[in-house]
Amino acid sequence: MARYGMALDYKNCINCKACEVACKEENGVLLGADKHRIWVGVKEIEGEFPLLSIASNTFMPSQCQHCDNAPCEEVCPTHATHYDENGVVRVDPDKCILCSYCMNACPYDARYVDDRTMTVDKCTFCSDTRLARGETTTACQATCPTKVRIFGDLDDPNSEISQVLMTREHFSLKPHLGTKPKLFYLI
Amino acid sequence: MNLQKIIPYRKMSLKELLVPENKFMALVAIVLTALFLIGVGIYLVHGHHAYGVTREHPWGLLIAMYIFFVVSSTGLCIVGSFGDVFGFKDYMTVSKRAIFGSIITILSGFAVIAFEIGHPVRMLIYNVISPGLRSAIWWMGTLYGLYLTFMVIEFVFLMRNDMKKAKIFGLIGLLIGLAAHSNLGGVFGFLNARLVANGVFYPTYFILTAFITGIYLIFLMYGYKYRGQAFPDDVAKALTNFMKIQGLLLAILMFFETWKMLTGVYGGMPERADTIIHILHTKSFWLGEVMCGMVIPFLLILKSKGTAIKAMVWASLIGMIGIFYMRYDLVHDAQLFPMQTLKIREYQLPPSFVEYFPSSTEMMIGFGGIGICLILYFLGTKLFDLDGKPEHH
Repeated sequence: MARYGMALDYKNCINCKACEVACKEENGVLLGADKHRIWVGVKEIEGEFPLLSIASNTFMPSQCQHCDNAPCEEVCPTHATHYDENGVVRVDPDKCILCSYCMNACPYDARYVDDRTMTVDKCTFCSDTRLARGETTTACQATCPTKVRIFGDLDDPNSEISQVLMTREHFSLKPHLGTKPKLFYLI
Repeated sequence: MNLQKIIPYRKMSLKELLVPENKFMALVAIVLTALFLIGVGIYLVHGHHAYGVTREHPWGLLIAMYIFFVVSSTGLCIVGSFGDVFGFKDYMTVSKRAIFGSIITILSGFAVIAFEIGHPVRMLIYNVISPGLRSAIWWMGTLYGLYLTFMVIEFVFLMRNDMKKAKIFGLIGLLIGLAAHSNLGGVFGFLNARLVANGVFYPTYFILTAFITGIYLIFLMYGYKYRGQAFPDDVAKALTNFMKIQGLLLAILMFFETWKMLTGVYGGMPERADTIIHILHTKSFWLGEVMCGMVIPFLLILKSKGTAIKAMVWASLIGMIGIFYMRYDLVHDAQLFPMQTLKIREYQLPPSFVEYFPSSTEMMIGFGGIGICLILYFLGTKLFDLDGKPEHH
């Protein structure tokens, strides 16, 4: 069994949103839906002309953090939210009662309601699609033109993601909450 | 099977049962219930799209109204327990009515929440076969289900004047009710990411405000029953005592709230202080929660030294408006601060608070729940003898 995670070389992001398109195509996310499963955050340029801080203008791709200690899993009254055998946080739509507690508990605003099933949905690291077909990459990773995303097994010391995390500084979001996210932002 | 043997009730024809005792209140109850049904119809057609809730603000007015009803239920259970569980004779006279009130308020709460939970039937199934034991919602829901069962059994024994059994089931029901209600506070208290809600405050505050709500409601019930006439001595004695207790409880609540706000603002901690300052700039907090819910009833109690029980009926009506604002605000306040991670860089930009206003459908279902509660109450007062002082057997 693997323990999947993702490293994001976010400074390479050019905000082309190909990852959002690929995710929608691969996972059947509603077309036109905003910030479902993954999104790219935009930090506007600070300052007033001509004193503009170019460095402040960054693009921040994000999605479910697939926490090792996920608050959404903890609060689910019916175990609809669970960890699969690869440590990926998943939702079983048959068990979801749409109480929305997980949406309130997630510190990363990574969950949304799928209007077709009327259950809560989120990023699955393409577990139902690409990984199920035996592929080893996620759709967002495969399509990224600037190679922002590195997906792999954190428990395998020889995987690319493990190697990158050993050699490059990185941070995760809201680490003080103890959620142990498996998304790592490379500095 | 003879129902009369299980629970004594007044035999009457359907016509007698449905003739309203007070036309104005009957109209209010029917209009509100009709709105509830219309709201449910709209919800069944449009689903959650008929509500004003969003991804950033997934809980809205219906959650607030559910809390409003279950707080009322727990409060009436506490108030009713003074007489029949703890055996204080001065309060015995209000026990039956309070316990009946606790049953109908929680039923109204369940009626409202059934249309907020996306899949209520699935909930009943998977709560049993796939229980999430670390979830406060699971405990809250399960314990409230048990609580309702014990309240009904307690009420049956109260109607039979079997005080010994009523006491046993009442005590179990009270303990389960307190556990359920503090778990409801825990639903918010466990939200580690929501700094305004996280912590010990809500689980304890819920019990305190439940007690306060129970006293407001007992004043409203007796104020309505004895409108335009003096209270009988036993009722007046119980209400005078409750009024004094209410003074103490409101003082404690004001003390709690003051420290909640002070600790929230102190040190200017990002997210928490911003949100509390935002709350302190809202009219719903100052006029709704503070003035209506606490200060006006408290001043009346102080000024009359806890004796103006007729005026307290009106103050209780104002108090219940305040209690509604407390419920609405706690749901809204917990979700005020956006979690939109990386959609803005944290703390570098002033946060824009998440906005929410209930849709007309939410209002119809939420406030319509009050109509269901009123209809159940009027039917109950006709069918059952809620005044006969329980006698010890």
